[in-house]
Amino acid sequence: MNSLKRVFENPAVLTLIHYRVIVILAATLILAVSFVPGLTEFRTLSLSLDRTATLGLVAVGLTVVLLMGKLDLSVGSTLALSGIATIGLQAQLGPTGAALVGLLVGVLAGVLNGFLVVVLQINSLVATLASMIFLRALCHFLTDSNPVSGEDPLFGLTVTRSLGGTFSPRTYVFLIAIVLLFVWLTYTVAGRHLYAVGSNEDSATASGIRSSRYVFGAFVFSGLTAGAAGVMQSLATNTGSPVFGETVALTAIAAVVIGGTRLEGGRGSALGTLGGVLVLAAITTTLEYESVPTYYQNIVTGSILLLLILLDRIASNSPRSALSLTSLLPSRNSERVPTQ
Amino acid sequence: MTSATTLPPRVTEERATQRILGWIALPAGIALLVLVGSLLSEQFLTTRNLTNVLINMSLVGIIVVGMTFVFIVRGLADLSVPAMVAIGALLALGLQPSLGSIPAALVGILAASAAGLVNGVLIGYSKLNPVITTLATGTIVLGIAQASVGGVIVYGNDPQLQSLLTGRIFFGIPTIVLIFLAVALGGHLLLGRTTFGRWVYAAGSNPQATKASAVPLDFTKAVAFWMTATLAGFSGVLLGLTLQTARPGIGTGYEFDAITAVVVGGVSLLGGFGNIPRAIGGLLLVTLLSNIMVLNGIPTQSQGLVMGALIAGAVALDVYLRRRGGAA
Repeated sequence: MNSLKRVFENPAVLTLIHYRVIVILAATLILAVSFVPGLTEFRTLSLSLDRTATLGLVAVGLTVVLLMGKLDLSVGSTLALSGIATIGLQAQLGPTGAALVGLLVGVLAGVLNGFLVVVLQINSLVATLASMIFLRALCHFLTDSNPVSGEDPLFGLTVTRSLGGTFSPRTYVFLIAIVLLFVWLTYTVAGRHLYAVGSNEDSATASGIRSSRYVFGAFVFSGLTAGAAGVMQSLATNTGSPVFGETVALTAIAAVVIGGTRLEGGRGSALGTLGGVLVLAAITTTLEYESVPTYYQNIVTGSILLLLILLDRIASNSPRSALSLTSLLPSRNSERVPTQ
Repeated sequence: MTSATTLPPRVTEERATQRILGWIALPAGIALLVLVGSLLSEQFLTTRNLTNVLINMSLVGIIVVGMTFVFIVRGLADLSVPAMVAIGALLALGLQPSLGSIPAALVGILAASAAGLVNGVLIGYSKLNPVITTLATGTIVLGIAQASVGGVIVYGNDPQLQSLLTGRIFFGIPTIVLIFLAVALGGHLLLGRTTFGRWVYAAGSNPQATKASAVPLDFTKAVAFWMTATLAGFSGVLLGLTLQTARPGIGTGYEFDAITAVVVGGVSLLGGFGNIPRAIGGLLLVTLLSNIMVLNGIPTQSQGLVMGALIAGAVALDVYLRRRGGAA
């Protein structure tokens, strides 16, 4: 046991653990490049990125929610609902208007979550579970459980077709979202406040930050990105389906956590999330190319996730920080569970 | 740090009206549902329909018993339930030809139990976040379960065991319901009458004080997760044997069904409060509601409109009552 401890206190090992996202990303990318011929070609790369864009955009929104120490399970249902709005309203509002309504649906779903968590003080896990069930049922109710298809299949093609030989528009949307998130979290006061609220909501409030507004805003932001992902996915497939995005919430949470964001809040970064999304994309591309069945992919993905949270646990300085339940308690009394 | 902020309130001064409301809300809700159900549909109050309700309850109910422990011990939730259900069902049917029905069923339960041990060690002793840990182990276990049977739908070939499980051997009560009642009774006694049960409540209401009182906090938490996984595996075995067919996605939604029941039953996600009868009551309420909606022609997929509102309403009411009562 002692020798194990010494290994983990070795500076080199600590550095490796500290940069674990980059290490695991490099490893999976090298693996992907060596197994999939032509992955380094721009066209293949662009296609792989295009397929990841939807998941990536959802992950961008979830990064902020997880930073606040909350969870959002409802993103998959939001994605499906805004997709249905985007396609189903095309006849009445035209493609652009319907897409805007799709975004609005995402924002409204976020407002619903924010209301449940901030105003009604419901724990975010249960609150977003309720809204996940509710919104998914709404999708089925509105469509009679049948997928709806759009008026103009050509309109949606622009979303996936690459722009002037580079990336597709939805890849650009994802990458721009990552850059904006990076700037937001790193260079703005609001970003710093996000970390403050995520680390300790009460201290943040005591320091004059309106914590509950930030929490509310985080859910609205997550709803917006899930809505945007839904708009893009439904346009690309020219379909709005009530079963879209049923697994996306858990996969996106996995991507964000692989990127080094902690569920307890207060730690995480935009570039980490980009790394997490790319790790998952590289694994999927490689294993699909080698026609490894999906269930082996699950084993690999789950193991990487487990490995990274264990490393995170080792890397964190305070031994009890993973026990912090700050995120779980209503804001008024979260300080009653001190971590140390 | 002052004691006022660091110590959770141990004694709750509730007003009598609120205490009464907290106690009768669930039974009253169930009674109201029975009344509404019998008014809306003639088939509702028939033995056949109510037996169906009980059968539908039983498989989720076995998981609810475990999930209640996880909730009370402040372990949040176990999201690996679908994988445990799937590994139980897949192995119980997949290994039937080579091992025979009963040994195959045992292997299914043992596999889920072993995975639950991993959950327990990681969450209890390594103190990882329960949500993300059970998400990861669930993904891995589901992958292993599928790989072990070749990723296909498996079919069972033991109609005798199937008819034994769905058959009525005792006053017309199906065997599967009896199994569920036995598990629920066992869980209730374990939680309410044993030292371990006291540890569970203690660990959930005040981890620091519990640790200071030399209660094995890590062990208690670990056991809660191990139990949930084992029970989910057991439920999966029963599910597989009753259907005599299992696909990898067989357990999808069971985790959310169980969480819904526990939450509607008023068991606190913040730990330290609740009991098995309440959770079963919540499950009964949810199942009755779903049954009434089915009888009145509302499709299952759209029932979430009511269920989602029910979950949010139940928890919001719980939070509101506790705040008023000064508990949390």
